[in-house]
Amino acid sequence: MESIENRLGLVSFTVDSESHIKPKEEKCDNCRLRVCLYVCPAKLYRLEEGKIYFNHEGCLECGTCRVACPEELEWEYPRGGFGVHYQFG
Amino acid sequence: MDRFDAVVVGGGAAGLGAAYRMAENGLNVLLIERGENIGEKSVYGGRIYSWVFEEYVKGFRDAPIERWVRKERMTLLDEKESVSIEYSSDESCSFVANLTKFNRWLAERAEDAGALVISGIKVEDVKLNPAKIVADGDEIECDAVVIAEGVNPMLAMRLGLREDWKPEEVAVGVKEVFKLSEDEINSRFDVESDEGVANLFVGYPIFTHGGGFIYTNKDTVSAGVVVRVDSAMNNMIEVYDVVEKFRTHRDVAAFLKGGSMIEYSAHLVPEAGIKGIPNTLHKGNVMIAGDTAGFVLNRGFTIRGVDFAFYSGILAADSIKEAMDKGDVSSAGQIYEDKVRKSLILRELERFRKALDVLENTRFFDEYTRMMVGIMNGIFDVRKESNRLYDVVMDKTKGRKLRMVLDLLSAFRGL
Repeated sequence: MESIENRLGLVSFTVDSESHIKPKEEKCDNCRLRVCLYVCPAKLYRLEEGKIYFNHEGCLECGTCRVACPEELEWEYPRGGFGVHYQFG
Repeated sequence: MDRFDAVVVGGGAAGLGAAYRMAENGLNVLLIERGENIGEKSVYGGRIYSWVFEEYVKGFRDAPIERWVRKERMTLLDEKESVSIEYSSDESCSFVANLTKFNRWLAERAEDAGALVISGIKVEDVKLNPAKIVADGDEIECDAVVIAEGVNPMLAMRLGLREDWKPEEVAVGVKEVFKLSEDEINSRFDVESDEGVANLFVGYPIFTHGGGFIYTNKDTVSAGVVVRVDSAMNNMIEVYDVVEKFRTHRDVAAFLKGGSMIEYSAHLVPEAGIKGIPNTLHKGNVMIAGDTAGFVLNRGFTIRGVDFAFYSGILAADSIKEAMDKGDVSSAGQIYEDKVRKSLILRELERFRKALDVLENTRFFDEYTRMMVGIMNGIFDVRKESNRLYDVVMDKTKGRKLRMVLDLLSAFRGL
């Protein structure tokens, strides 16, 4: 078994200080579906004490959360040069 | 600053096709890629149909090709069993490549031809009349812009060139790459060094829209799962988890055994076929190509996107050249629109319009996959007394024969 954390550890990233994806707290608080918790292939959305937390470190830039989110998720590609560096695309 | 005839946004297959072709035709073209290096944002399953590169790229035989696909395998999986069909040929029309390396090679060819390729810069905006792009606080004006920004159409949406994808129109693909020796891959997959295998899987672990894949590279193997986003949402499929379920199924694990995972990646795949193509592919002299336009064909057995992407870039390049030669550069967008609508890409997507309905039918991914595996089990599971084929089939198809025949007929017609 390979935990998702271990798998993300195989990938090279240049992490920007600011996130390129910004969930809106009040929208997430009232969201009933919360599909982000399982559709994100990097498992970057977490539920803690009833609140959704997102960590952009480890983002694979697929866009699944943007498409799946029933609310309007603020989503941009990272700034030029930042984010994931795939070697075996 | 140089005045560019055209600016290409994005250094994937579509953008590189456009930049390469324009440079070959003597145009002054600039390609801007957001990744620090070309190819490092590109992800796909693993196979490219070669025709477009053979036709358009000089020296294509020197491209970084991992293996030519000589074996096509379709595998139906349930929890513990599998049924495979293999087609083997000594000729090949497709190859497995590492898209990062392959795109880097294409970018070098574009540069050799005279294109200016800049990476590490994100285009923040594209403007119309006159066409220009905004990046790094600068505006660059040109005669035409080709937006080949990939499947997430952030710029195209802002320009009103297309709407965002709905969950049922895209699938999320997750890929794991495993390091194995070349000899080990050859013996495990029963191929020679330049020969490769493309293996698609249906059924376990998702039993809904999508499936698994394995592609053989030279000394790595790519394996993963593709799940339509709406199915993942509706069935609460944990995407990071299903790829592990797939990897650890005994009939998948057998191919990966002893290999160490060296990369994990994810990417969206347009899966709406002809229905995912926007009504217009241009606005003024700004045009969209590749995944941004939705040029991917999924027939169930095969999925092709990289060849269409590159070809759409070529069509964009040729449209700009044609418009310039006519002395009316402002007509490039319309010429592109006409060319694409008449092209192989749209013909193919149109031809397989009905495949969308077939692949919408989840019975193929669940019920019929299990049924087929069950029939094979009934034939081969001999414990003293054997079952007649007739009895096995009658038993497994009980109460659903008519629906099954109709479904199979639709598959024959659609795929």
